Amino acid sequence: MEVLGIWIAAFLTLCIFSFLYRDNPFYRFAEHLFIGLSVGYSIVVTIHQGFIPLAWEPLSEGVNALQSELTSEGTPETKEALSGLFKIIPIGIGLLFFARLSPRHTWLIRYPIAILIGFTAGAAIPNVLQASIFEQTYGTLTPFAAMHAGSLSTGDIVGAILITIGLICTLVYFFFSVEHQGPVGWLSKVGIAFLMIGFGAAFGNTVMGRVALLIHRVGFLINDWLGSIF
Amino acid sequence: MKRQVPLALCFLFGIVMILTQFSPHSYSQGVYREVINWNLIINPFALILAVATLIQTHMTRIQRRTEHWQYSLVVFLGMAVMVLIGIPLGPQNSYVEWLYNNLQVPMDATMFSLLAFFIASAAYRAFRARTFEATLLLITALIVMMGNVPVGDLIWNSVLSWLPMEDGASKVRQWILDIPNLASRRGIILGVSLGVISQSIRIILGIERSYLGGGD
Repeated sequence: MEVLGIWIAAFLTLCIFSFLYRDNPFYRFAEHLFIGLSVGYSIVVTIHQGFIPLAWEPLSEGVNALQSELTSEGTPETKEALSGLFKIIPIGIGLLFFARLSPRHTWLIRYPIAILIGFTAGAAIPNVLQASIFEQTYGTLTPFAAMHAGSLSTGDIVGAILITIGLICTLVYFFFSVEHQGPVGWLSKVGIAFLMIGFGAAFGNTVMGRVALLIHRVGFLINDWLGSIF
Repeated sequence: MKRQVPLALCFLFGIVMILTQFSPHSYSQGVYREVINWNLIINPFALILAVATLIQTHMTRIQRRTEHWQYSLVVFLGMAVMVLIGIPLGPQNSYVEWLYNNLQVPMDATMFSLLAFFIASAAYRAFRARTFEATLLLITALIVMMGNVPVGDLIWNSVLSWLPMEDGASKVRQWILDIPNLASRRGIILGVSLGVISQSIRIILGIERSYLGGGD
């Protein structure tokens, strides 16, 4: 089974690498198989880790508890399990997604979409405030407190000042309410320089990440696949 | 009914999510957890609808015998194998793990590794140092790449041996990541965050309604 897995993985790896020559049937086969498998795996994970434990099991327990209550065999546990019946509401709302398939009832899809968007927007505000605004501002200003206490080296002081200047200049670049002329224009130009360094660093890291993956795949072909033959 | 109720639901769920996150009361935290569970229950239906659309698209390709229609059968084959084994047995099952480890993971990694070639050719076209900004980007990318591998320090120690800094490539790379890169990333994060918050407020208050689509 293990050797078969190595051979299949090697075949699919070579199929995808064949695209480096040009588009061909082997690449298209692997590409479409990848799409099918990925979608299938997403369905399996979503159902097993989302729908079954959060909706199906509480609902089943709720139905069983209701039956017990109706036959007067109710216990405190069954009373608690009755709350699982409320899961029918989100399931019903979720089923409204399929209204999309009926032209007359397409508008019903707005209900689940509105709930999901409202949820996401509501969840985003406190989380983004905390993680992206307060924490980032805190991280920028904290070194100045340490600087005041005299516990920073010269290099760290220069670094903290550079980070603050870079942050302010980058924000000025994104501030479009005033024309970028004069001092604002100069600050904006410094902001562009910092942004270019940031993009260059991101690009360099991305390239190295992809090259690491390439080395890993070539290593697999040489060591695991060819190693299993010779 | 067709537009007002969704707007009201969006407002209600948005406000509930904001208020419950700011309140430490156990009742409030219970509501918060329940709303998150509702979201996790509703989300899979959107995935199933997306899968239905994918199936519809590929069925149309097969029916109309469009170019390369045979590959749509491969999509169905992959999906069917994974779903038919995965749904009854679960994702932790050894057969599902075998399929995942020997088919999906290698293809995923190879697809991304393929980008190493295309990213290099794209960089050649994009990074021709015509302006000061492009030069800055090019030099930074080169330093970060060279600082990532041992040969970078080897070149530094051979070519720039007169400098009082040993293994300079990795040190300069780290400095770039820690100082100017951090400054620009923080600027971007703050800008994006302010945008997210303002857009979220517009959505909750019903000012932004594009998600409702057209029609009445």
